[in-house]
Amino acid sequence: MTSVFSEPIVSIENVSKEYQRDAFVIPVLSGIDLQLMAGDYVSLMGPSGSGKSTLLNLIAGLDKPTSGRIHACGQDLCNSSEGELAKWRSRHIGFIFQLYNLIPVLTAYENVELPLTLTSLNRRQRDEHVKAAMEVVGLLDRMDHYPRQLSGGQEQRVSIARAIATDPTLIVADEPTGDLDAKSGGEILDLMTRLNEEFQKTIIMVTHDPDAAQRAKRMLLLGKGVLISDTRQQASHV
Amino acid sequence: MKLLKYIWRNVTRNKLRSSLTILSVAFSLALMTVLYGYLAMQDSWGQEAIKKNRIVVMNKQGFSGSLPIAYIDRIRSTEGVLNAVPYAWFGGNYQEQKMPFAQFGTDPKNVFEVWNEWKIAPEQLSAWQDDRQGCIADRKLAEKRQWKIGDRIPLQGTFYPINLDLKLVGVFDSPTYSDSILFNWTYMDEELRKISPEASGNSGTIFARCRSTDLIPSVVDAIDEKFSNSDNPTRTQTEAAFAQMFADMLGNIKSYIRNIALAVIFSLTLVAGTAMAMSMRERTTEVAVLKAIGFSKSRILSMVLGESTIISMLGGLLGIAAGGLCLHGLHSVSAQFFPLSIFELAGPWLLGLIAVGIGIGFVSGLVPAIQAARISVVDGLRRVI
Repeated sequence: MTSVFSEPIVSIENVSKEYQRDAFVIPVLSGIDLQLMAGDYVSLMGPSGSGKSTLLNLIAGLDKPTSGRIHACGQDLCNSSEGELAKWRSRHIGFIFQLYNLIPVLTAYENVELPLTLTSLNRRQRDEHVKAAMEVVGLLDRMDHYPRQLSGGQEQRVSIARAIATDPTLIVADEPTGDLDAKSGGEILDLMTRLNEEFQKTIIMVTHDPDAAQRAKRMLLLGKGVLISDTRQQASHV
Repeated sequence: MKLLKYIWRNVTRNKLRSSLTILSVAFSLALMTVLYGYLAMQDSWGQEAIKKNRIVVMNKQGFSGSLPIAYIDRIRSTEGVLNAVPYAWFGGNYQEQKMPFAQFGTDPKNVFEVWNEWKIAPEQLSAWQDDRQGCIADRKLAEKRQWKIGDRIPLQGTFYPINLDLKLVGVFDSPTYSDSILFNWTYMDEELRKISPEASGNSGTIFARCRSTDLIPSVVDAIDEKFSNSDNPTRTQTEAAFAQMFADMLGNIKSYIRNIALAVIFSLTLVAGTAMAMSMRERTTEVAVLKAIGFSKSRILSMVLGESTIISMLGGLLGIAAGGLCLHGLHSVSAQFFPLSIFELAGPWLLGLIAVGIGIGFVSGLVPAIQAARISVVDGLRRVI
């Protein structure tokens, strides 16, 4: 599981984003310039409404900016069709959500296999990928369990396994510990650090938790849609 | 195919809702199966009858009148007619059961020339011809009633003021289950003469067989012409037209059935569509997650359509099976009105109903599927981010 990019994985140039709500134009992001390098582990902080999730959605190709340019993993996200973006996401992006968002009618194994069904892998190859991902998150013994049969921490680990199963270029995490207790949250952050250090996964993580942000190698601070600070830091391990 | 398991899990996700949708489709398709089966039976009778070159002569007034038995020889002498026999419906009760099977008085010597597709052992035919109180039964009817040769079959008249004490002397085989017994018309007529001489000497209908299909139009005209100035003018028609007449007696039943079917399909589509729309609305976030991880619009569309089609198809197959069982039951209990089994009736119309079952699922799933495919990932995820 290694990244093939030596240049910036994500390049954002003068990006702004506005939403139209009835007669009102609401500016969310303004003049954002940012580059994410291969192997980065970036935390994105800021108060509610500062534009963290919007920036994350733009980087993940879920939304398009009002102005500016975004290149990510070899794709011009501003000039790509919805179908092209879907295909690009399936190849390059792994998602980790705050509320895990596992499919309740599928087992842990089947949830992890789901993004692999979009690839050309055969059944045996998919099985190998799923088991490798489940081994990384330490849940090989829970593969046949449904989400309702797992704890919150275990569900989030399955969600991480789903995110890494396709060996994506970039992992996008939106408050991955936001719905977990301190112990489970700590385990998830340990796992993400391991993904970055051991498997060289590039990670961008939105968080409200300063301790979680300290785990990252780089911390971005947003305020009122503007990038206030971009700090390289010595990652701390709890 | 990789996602079939996921689609199936979604089908069984809300078991109560899926079951109710399946049952609503099943009930309607069962009803349509019975109605269309009845139509197919009418068509089948008519189609089969065309091949047999048979014609039916009845009083011009319809079933309220009858024909003098003397007409038979005059019909037989008509150019193009091979043979003719009386065919008098008796309609008696048997062991306190009201008309449990069809009973006809006819001519034992000639009836097998008119119904040449029926088969009987020569010695049994001979026994019937020699015994005025003798009767023969459709083999399947005899087996169902566990009758044996020599058994007495007493019939209490309902339409006629007489009772008949028949003796089973033979069984015949017919390509389609006739659910009937045949007895000697002369025996019935003699009993009738004792009580009501003015009612005797008649037959409700006369069946004749023509030498060829080409001759039928001229034979029909010739017979009606022959009796046009008599006290009992005739109405002659092909057996197929005679079969259609029964359907027409119920009004324009085909049109009614088709209109009912259209209404049922329309309401079913709305019911199934509502259930599917509710199901998809509950899964907005899930669909957004699928789209986020790379599921394309077309894949979401086909997954939702697959789900609605499976639900509807299950209901359709269940309903058609239930309708088939109903038809089988009607055939078993009352073969005189439902002479063909579901296996004999099976045809393109049955495939059409299966297509209706699938089509309802496809059409009802179309709007929810398009909505699901159009869900904005950002809006769908907003609930959880």
